[in-house]
Amino acid sequence: MIKVEKRNDVSRSIYFLTPVLAIFLTLFGGGIIFFILGFNPIEALKFFFITPISDLYGLSELLVKATPLCLIAIGLSFCFKSNNWNIGAEGQLIFGGIVGGGVALLFYNHDGFYVLPIIILSGAFGGMLFAMIPAILKTYFNTNEILVSLMLVYVAKLLLDYLVVGPWSNPEGFNFPETRQFSESARMPILFDGLRIHAGIFITLITVFLSWLVLYKTYLGFQIKVSGLSLKTAKYAGFKGKTMIIFVFMISGACAGLAGVGEITGPIGQLHRNISPDYGFTAIIVAFLGRLNPIGIIFASLIVALTYLGAETAQIFLQVPKYTGQVFQGMILFFLLGSDYLLFFKIKFLGLKKNEL
Amino acid sequence: MNTKLKVSEISKIYPGCIANDKVSLEFGSGKIYALLGENGAGKSTLVKILSGVVKPDDGEVFLNNESIKLNSPLDAKKNNIGMVFQHFNLFETLSVFENLSIDSDKKDEELRELVNDILKKYNFKIDLDIPVLNLSAGQKQKVEIIRCLIRNPKVLIMDEPTSVLTEQETDDLFISLKQFSKDGILIIYITHKLKEVLSLCDEVAVMRKGKVVSVSNTIDEKIESLANKMVGENLNTIKKKINNFKNSKEILKISNLNFKSDDPYETNLNNLNLSLKKGECLGIAGISGNGQNELFQILSGEIITKGTSIMFRNKEIGKLNPRERREYLMAFSPEDRISQAAVPELKIYENVALNNFKSSNFFEKGLVNEKKIKEHSKKILSNFSVNTDNVELKSQFLSGGNLQKLIIGRELITSPELLVCFNPTWGLDVGAINYIHETLIQINEQGKSSILISTDNDELLKLSDRICVIYKGKLSKIMNADTVTAEKLGILMGGGSID
Repeated sequence: MIKVEKRNDVSRSIYFLTPVLAIFLTLFGGGIIFFILGFNPIEALKFFFITPISDLYGLSELLVKATPLCLIAIGLSFCFKSNNWNIGAEGQLIFGGIVGGGVALLFYNHDGFYVLPIIILSGAFGGMLFAMIPAILKTYFNTNEILVSLMLVYVAKLLLDYLVVGPWSNPEGFNFPETRQFSESARMPILFDGLRIHAGIFITLITVFLSWLVLYKTYLGFQIKVSGLSLKTAKYAGFKGKTMIIFVFMISGACAGLAGVGEITGPIGQLHRNISPDYGFTAIIVAFLGRLNPIGIIFASLIVALTYLGAETAQIFLQVPKYTGQVFQGMILFFLLGSDYLLFFKIKFLGLKKNEL
Repeated sequence: MNTKLKVSEISKIYPGCIANDKVSLEFGSGKIYALLGENGAGKSTLVKILSGVVKPDDGEVFLNNESIKLNSPLDAKKNNIGMVFQHFNLFETLSVFENLSIDSDKKDEELRELVNDILKKYNFKIDLDIPVLNLSAGQKQKVEIIRCLIRNPKVLIMDEPTSVLTEQETDDLFISLKQFSKDGILIIYITHKLKEVLSLCDEVAVMRKGKVVSVSNTIDEKIESLANKMVGENLNTIKKKINNFKNSKEILKISNLNFKSDDPYETNLNNLNLSLKKGECLGIAGISGNGQNELFQILSGEIITKGTSIMFRNKEIGKLNPRERREYLMAFSPEDRISQAAVPELKIYENVALNNFKSSNFFEKGLVNEKKIKEHSKKILSNFSVNTDNVELKSQFLSGGNLQKLIIGRELITSPELLVCFNPTWGLDVGAINYIHETLIQINEQGKSSILISTDNDELLKLSDRICVIYKGKLSKIMNADTVTAEKLGILMGGGSID
């Protein structure tokens, strides 16, 4: 007989340590997979997790990847904390990219310090607008935000596709599905010569700090927390439920939009079909791995960013497909959920007692 | 046929609490046994063991001197032990007959004949072919009983069966139970209502903190003696001074309020009229599900109504949400203390911050003033004798009584002019009930008003100055409490009328 019981004494430190355990289990699981594929697991894991960040360029790449992940995950934490399941951050990122990119194209060959801030703000605004669609449908028409936000991802992707192939495609681009390269005034400043790390990281850090402030130190954060734990209580306390749903979606969408605009004005420099390697979806894993806690999310984004880099190195040195990165991301989530289950529930194996024989 | 049921040295330990501590009891057919105890005394655990829902850590159950294993509810059925739970396990949208045939392996025609025999024999009047949702609580309970009777039970266990019944339905139930007992069924009746023990049962076993503290014949017992055994301390019964409010100011007036819900599971309220004076306690009786929930939410502002329908201290408050109403010195203690009035995962001081009002300064310019909230929480914990002084404790670790004290304290520390509470003592032990009752009387004495929505008639009769009954979303005439008896309430609660 197996029996599952809820634990009601989960210690806070263990709660924040389980993600670390999940990461170690992922390494172990990854080792086994590499072993089965015929590699020396230690060597392979070294290629995957150490080699990519063993030089300055690698570290800069890690931060380039972690910047959007962390930003999106922070935004998502507002939604998830208040029980709003926005899983369409990818769409909000793309839409933010479209709006920001559109403005950047508008300012083509335009100089001025104001160009970049306008592009950044319009990107955030675009993501925000796009996130308001599921929010408004949820509050006024009782639709399910999981479905709506997810389906809107494909709407945004197809819209981007249409724009880069059709009206916005580069006139001198030999019909490649991409826009012109943005002008210098529309690009994120590069922090160090020769590295791709850009000023977007400051946007992310400022957002993390502001989010921490809002979530833990303000009445608004308190309302978000209470609504997430019990909507009935939120109603009883007189919190304005609908306004808050729309608000958290707006924050979340704005963050995703910022991440999108950061990508296109940063490392990419133009709009094309694949402006995001599924950052918006991967950020969901980051948010949960970081326990929806701003500091936790910073660490989680670095680790998950490493799986992106590791996959690339592994592709080069081990000739395994770069999708191994997604396998690792999946394993992290799997082990996190698994250890969470054991954290919140205990399983008792009840042997047959002798009086039952 | 003689049935003997014996439990021997049964123990069941849950983390942090011993639910049953070497419980030994003997029962024989032909008698009705009461198992009496406060909430948490261990009665429910014991009957769950007898019905196979819970497995004991230690001890044995004997049926007619043979040891039996009760590993699942199915085992209990095989051993002819029937159980009627407090909450019904019926499919609302299926017909009565379909509900009965689900767990019977008899052919439909056979079963129908058998059920009709049972209906005739015990004079039950139930249409077998209407959906269960059209039945009253008393009829649903009868369906549950019939479900047990089909299996020719030797033992029938009833878990607090009257908590959902009217006085008349209770009387009916007692007649049936006595008949079953005559027919040789051993009946174990679980309750914490003392009057029922005396009027129904032959023997009574009192449990306290997981142990059997006394077994006796009910003839030898009185309400007071049983209450003392149950609580283990001498209770001082509180009595409220009846006041005359002729000259007091009116503080709340609801006129012609209608509420129509979009949700078929909610009750519509029709043409509600009531008024409340300063220092008065208005009791609202009724069987749960007759519109109490909706009425509470209308009073608290969780349901918004037309501005003019509710006047509080000469202000129209119908359109205000709960937080805004608190600014006008109203306070609310909802029925669901565990997941609505407080959030179990939040710390005590965070739960206190839920009652946020302007002068509290809990949140200044949108920022949390943790120091202020904690100070305020400490005050509540000590003023309302909550059994901890640690404001960082998560409220899930408070017992029901302490949690309710915290909630009432949180609501009252702002000195509101009106407290609306809904089943404030539901599920609490006698000590906590007394404390809450004293507190509610105290606020009336301080000239503050209260509305007490409750399904516990004794509580209503003890605390209210005036009482009315809500039935199917309609309020009865409001009566002075000294003219009201439990019987009158029972009639009104069941939809009858009195002159």
